[in-house]
Amino acid sequence: MKRVFIALTALCLLAGAPALWAADSIKIGLMGPMTGPWASEGQEMKQVLDLLAKDLNDKGGLLGKTVEVVSEDDGGDPRTAALAAQRLATQGIVGVIGTYGSSVTEATQNIYDESKILQIANGSTAIRLTEKGLKYFFRTCPRDDEQGRVAVQTIQKLGFKKVAILHDNTTYAKGLADEAKGLLEGKGVEIVFYDALTPGEQDYTTILTKMKGANPDVVFFTGYYPEAGLLLRQKKEMNWPVPFIGGDATNNPDLVKIAGKDAAEGFYFLSAPLPKDLPTAEAKAFLGQFEKKYGHQPASIYAVLAGDGFRVLTEAIQATQSTDPDVLADYLHNKMKDFPGLTGTLSFNDKGDRVGEVYRVYKVDADGNFILQP
Amino acid sequence: MEEFFQQLTNGLAVGGIYALIALGYTMVYGVLKLINFAHGDLFTIGSYLGLTLLTSLSLADRLGPAAGVLVLAVMVMGLVAVVGALLERVAYRPLRQSPRLSAVVSALGASIFFSNALMLIYGARFQVYPQGILPKVAVNIFGLDVPLVRILILAASVLMMLALYFFIQKTRIGTAIRAAAIDQDAARLMGIDVDRVILFVFLIGPALGGVAGLMVGLHYGQINFTMGWIYGLKAFTAAILGGIGNIPGAMVGGILLGVVEALGAAYLSMAWKDAIAFGVLIFILIVRPTGLLGERVAEKV
Repeated sequence: MKRVFIALTALCLLAGAPALWAADSIKIGLMGPMTGPWASEGQEMKQVLDLLAKDLNDKGGLLGKTVEVVSEDDGGDPRTAALAAQRLATQGIVGVIGTYGSSVTEATQNIYDESKILQIANGSTAIRLTEKGLKYFFRTCPRDDEQGRVAVQTIQKLGFKKVAILHDNTTYAKGLADEAKGLLEGKGVEIVFYDALTPGEQDYTTILTKMKGANPDVVFFTGYYPEAGLLLRQKKEMNWPVPFIGGDATNNPDLVKIAGKDAAEGFYFLSAPLPKDLPTAEAKAFLGQFEKKYGHQPASIYAVLAGDGFRVLTEAIQATQSTDPDVLADYLHNKMKDFPGLTGTLSFNDKGDRVGEVYRVYKVDADGNFILQP
Repeated sequence: MEEFFQQLTNGLAVGGIYALIALGYTMVYGVLKLINFAHGDLFTIGSYLGLTLLTSLSLADRLGPAAGVLVLAVMVMGLVAVVGALLERVAYRPLRQSPRLSAVVSALGASIFFSNALMLIYGARFQVYPQGILPKVAVNIFGLDVPLVRILILAASVLMMLALYFFIQKTRIGTAIRAAAIDQDAARLMGIDVDRVILFVFLIGPALGGVAGLMVGLHYGQINFTMGWIYGLKAFTAAILGGIGNIPGAMVGGILLGVVEALGAAYLSMAWKDAIAFGVLIFILIVRPTGLLGERVAEKV
């Protein structure tokens, strides 16, 4: 009996521990900001993934197994994220979805790469994330150079000549600010102000006063919605009527709550289309399900983009009948063409970037609604 | 020149809030030699409680803006004072005889507990004060439009600091607090109930922090459960800058820090704002290791 037991144990060891864990379920990680300043994004990412996983399991799961979402909180902070990534990497996950902020994603890229875990980021648009040649890194959101181009087009179309650019020193915001600055300089537009604020504070009157002194026609703010809301509000209190354009990180309904409707009115921002403006049939069906389960539509496009990350990963597993990271990465890079995602068709190039135009221009109306600009 | 004065008023308004929070640090340090890291979170609790009371009781509608805000301030101060006293009872009193480091760790733990409790109760999203509670009037001072709210914030801060100063200097309990700050054992021998003194300190300090939180909420509108950290850090810096343990020092340190930040950001570099502020702190500590007003070490608090 003892001998049989030893033989069995040896067999198990030979088969390898991952095979044992994978016997009942396929694990997919979710790394998102469940707490911290971007917590509303992360919590919605989890809602979207839970819904999609349940849907998939109701339809029979994947490769005959159930799909399990293992989520970890990155706190919107690179240090917390590195720990979260290390915890996830030890749990036998095939791939991880996330995360939102570029500097947060950047802190975890190598951890996943070394563990051969596919990472599909949903909100990290900084250019350099996909310029490192990491084989297992993908993203469903567009890149800042595309966003920079759209920003410059918009500024030119609206006829602004003197531009102030303000960022917040995060990987994403600074990257977008630099990109826009480089593109604008060659086009006869004068950059009268270029500086950074400290995110997480509440009084931005100092920087507004300083910017006002430079007398710009328009301010391009590339940071996130909490600061954008405060800037708009304090600008209004100063009676300074300059128009503001925001990057895609200002796309969150909380912006209007923070700024107040009268201060937010007329604010332009660039973004992938909002959930409510998604045209595809997949999206409409999904939004209906989401509303049925949670009682409201998802507020953030990044949560839906996380859902697309989950969908392409499970599609890759299904199509290749494999959970081998090399096979899956190859499938996503080379074989998957125009997969019908929630946010439009999805294909990836060699770098792991999503192919195709995504950005739109939105404007906030007097009631605080985000209106898609033609 | 107009821009200079504009930036000066910006700095004074922020400095007033730093000063008010710094008072709580300085009082606790003066008596217990303990940096109360949870103080920033008491400030956050003040702003959240203020929001809840404001929306649920609709005080501003019933009593008018001025009286409504005043009543609200008193309620917030009372509630946060209770939280502060509980904090002292639960997290600090059991460690009174332990090494100082244990109390600091306990303070950090309390800070994490408070901010996460706020997140669980109110949710992780930003909370927003209703608009239009305070009148948006600008006062013209020497040709400069200064929002009335900013003047009120600074005035309220200075008033509360003066009241505290006279309370500590002129009243019996104030004298007892000063005595306990100098030597707890000797104070006990003189018949002073030191535990009661410490309880008092933990009623006053958090009350001031809480009312600062309310002011921030009313003025800036947006509050979140992590904001206590950054304000706490700045106020702690202000307390050290002015000489920790010294009440006028906290006042001077807070206002100075606010002004240095604003002017540094305006005329040197925005991105380096914090580096400039902390650079000033380092410079002052090199020249005067006890802080600006910290020379009378024996007369802390």
